[in-house]
Amino acid sequence: MRFLELCKRNLKETYRDPLSLGFLLGFPLVFMLLFGLAFSGETTPTYSLGVLDQDQSEISQAFVDEALATAFEITPYDNSSQALEDLKAGDLRAYITIPQGFGEQVYQNWQGESENIALDITYDESDLIVKEQVISMIDAVTRSFARIEVPVTLNTSPIHIESEITYIDFIAPGIIIFGLLILIPTSARMMVRDKEKGVLARLLTTPTRPWEFISSYSLCLFAVGIVQIIIFIVIAYLMGMDIVGNAGLVFLVFALTALCSIGIGMIIASLSKSENQADPLSWLIAMPVAMLSGCWFSIEMMPPWLQSIAHAFPFSHSIEASRGILSRGTGFEAVASDFLFLVIWTVIVFAAGILLFRRKMTI
Amino acid sequence: MSKLNSNTLAIQIFALTKRFDSLIAVNGIDLGIGKGELFSLLGPNGAGKTTTINMLCCLLKPTSGTVSIMGYDIMKEPFRVKELIGVAPQETTISEHLNSWENLSLIGRVHRIGSKELKQRSEELLETVGLLERAKDRVGKFSGGMKRRLNLIMALVPDPEILFLDEPTLGLDPQSRRAIWDYIAELKGKKTILLTTHYLEEADVLSDRVGIIDEGKIVALGTTDELKKSISETNTMIISAENLSAEAIDGLRTSDRYAEIDNVSGKLKVSGKDLNFREVIDYLYSQDVTIYSAALEQPTLEDVFLKITGKELRE
Ligand SMILES: Nc1ncnc2c1ncn2[C@@H]1O[C@H](COP(=O)(O)OP(=O)(O)OP(=O)(O)O)[C@@H](O)[C@H]1O
Ligand SMILES: [Mg+2]
Repeated sequence: MRFLELCKRNLKETYRDPLSLGFLLGFPLVFMLLFGLAFSGETTPTYSLGVLDQDQSEISQAFVDEALATAFEITPYDNSSQALEDLKAGDLRAYITIPQGFGEQVYQNWQGESENIALDITYDESDLIVKEQVISMIDAVTRSFARIEVPVTLNTSPIHIESEITYIDFIAPGIIIFGLLILIPTSARMMVRDKEKGVLARLLTTPTRPWEFISSYSLCLFAVGIVQIIIFIVIAYLMGMDIVGNAGLVFLVFALTALCSIGIGMIIASLSKSENQADPLSWLIAMPVAMLSGCWFSIEMMPPWLQSIAHAFPFSHSIEASRGILSRGTGFEAVASDFLFLVIWTVIVFAAGILLFRRKMTI
Repeated sequence: MSKLNSNTLAIQIFALTKRFDSLIAVNGIDLGIGKGELFSLLGPNGAGKTTTINMLCCLLKPTSGTVSIMGYDIMKEPFRVKELIGVAPQETTISEHLNSWENLSLIGRVHRIGSKELKQRSEELLETVGLLERAKDRVGKFSGGMKRRLNLIMALVPDPEILFLDEPTLGLDPQSRRAIWDYIAELKGKKTILLTTHYLEEADVLSDRVGIIDEGKIVALGTTDELKKSISETNTMIISAENLSAEAIDGLRTSDRYAEIDNVSGKLKVSGKDLNFREVIDYLYSQDVTIYSAALEQPTLEDVFLKITGKELRE
């Protein structure tokens, strides 16, 4: 197989070059660590939390004093109207209502019966910190207090929030997808370097076909991508990311995303004459797409027309699918449409890459 | 006629033209190169040699004209053509992080050469260019000339029927150059070879025919002897001798067979259209001249080159 021989050569060129190898493997490592540390830092500040204890049991008392108090600054309330006022005034981040029967529910859990625990949380909808952090903290605290593995039912108002998502769970998939988006410049660089040095021209005088060139580069880059994905997942896991769903499935999502990036990189390489052209061009594509796809913040905050543009790219689908699988344990059926989208994109970019290579590189 | 051509010609070029924007790099070349022929393309820098070769090996799209190689049109069946050719580009292009074996095997493998044959051929070629001892070193650490040698044998490793060698001995030391000449001379008759070079001696020794290209056009074509004859009808002999008397020289001058007679620092130069070597020697003996040496001076390929490309005049 010609393309395997070429791929072997590309791999050797890569792993024998300490600088490029360092970049390819060191980069995701440093990158993930930096992001992880940057965001884990945000859990340090304490938020003030109002508590309205309607249960008034020993257990609810203990819950407030021993559990919630470790994570929040607690202000007790007797009635909800006062709490609401303080929330509006900004003195509170949120307030939590412990309903009657809470102590009983927790007690049942301690006895080994899986009872659902219900809590009501009220907060300002526009407050992203609460949305992404406070709720998950309450969730975590409650679960450890009640010693339960089942999801806690947090009746949040004004909007309902998936209970299990912690902050790192929310942010990690986006960061990983961003890491995989960086395969675009990496891929473009690998091919365009050979073009610039004339190695590609020499190989073009051999009977190697365009698809063989594209697959040889892609296969090598895919191997690099797989290693990067493993690094990403391991570090995110160490930083506290849950893997609730099927790890194989989420790996598949990341792998398809990597292929999309590689394909886009191949297109850019076919269009550029030199590294100096390919590099800025690929960053010019990767950065806005990362922004648009919601790598750093939720795309729900964007205007709808921008969201529909975002959904035209594969990466927002990867983020949603991987987030679902990782933190909610979403099964294949639920992400099948995202999968299909990724597969279609992969097929299209590779077809376009081969076509462009044929048009631009061969007579 | 064309049937005959396609049977005996390996490369047929018709009105081949390449234009880069306003610059016409190759301007309507017509050329046929026979099977097993060693053809040298000579020409000053920028004459269009590399551009021509790039078109022949399917790297560059001709602006107009056609080329067929072993009967396959380069535009219509490029992959057929690529199976038949081996190319050593003017610019050294090797994979820096691979060693020599790996570089050779890459090219061999994409030509689908079996591993046993590949190893044997690689070894033979590495031996020829004196790289066998360093064959396991990363080629990035090679000297410029060593890289050149590898660059050349990479074209040879698939054992192609047709070879395009763009300045194969550029930047090589005299021993290596000689070794490569010998190797190419061995291939003569077995392979069709198109080479370009600025070492005119190399072209003179090796080529069956040479073509001189200038400003994109072939300005002279033929065997080296034909070309040499074409630029000078007169023969010249140089005699170095003692006690050359003025009378003896004058005696030569009286004959109208000798167009030109010069005596510069003990060296007598006689030239004329019907110059007869024996006659001149005999005459000088009869005049009691002691002759140390006498030789017929032949025009070199360099003389031909300079005369035809007019570089002498332009400078
Ligand atoms: N890619 C290109 N774009 C524009 N002009 C080019 C290109 N390649 C070659 N040329 C021009 O075509 C002409 C012929 O170049 P070519 O490389 O064929 O010369 P050459 O005969 O091989 O010279 P040398 O002996 O220096 O190798 C030159 O004037 C060169 O500037
Ligand atoms: Mg040249």
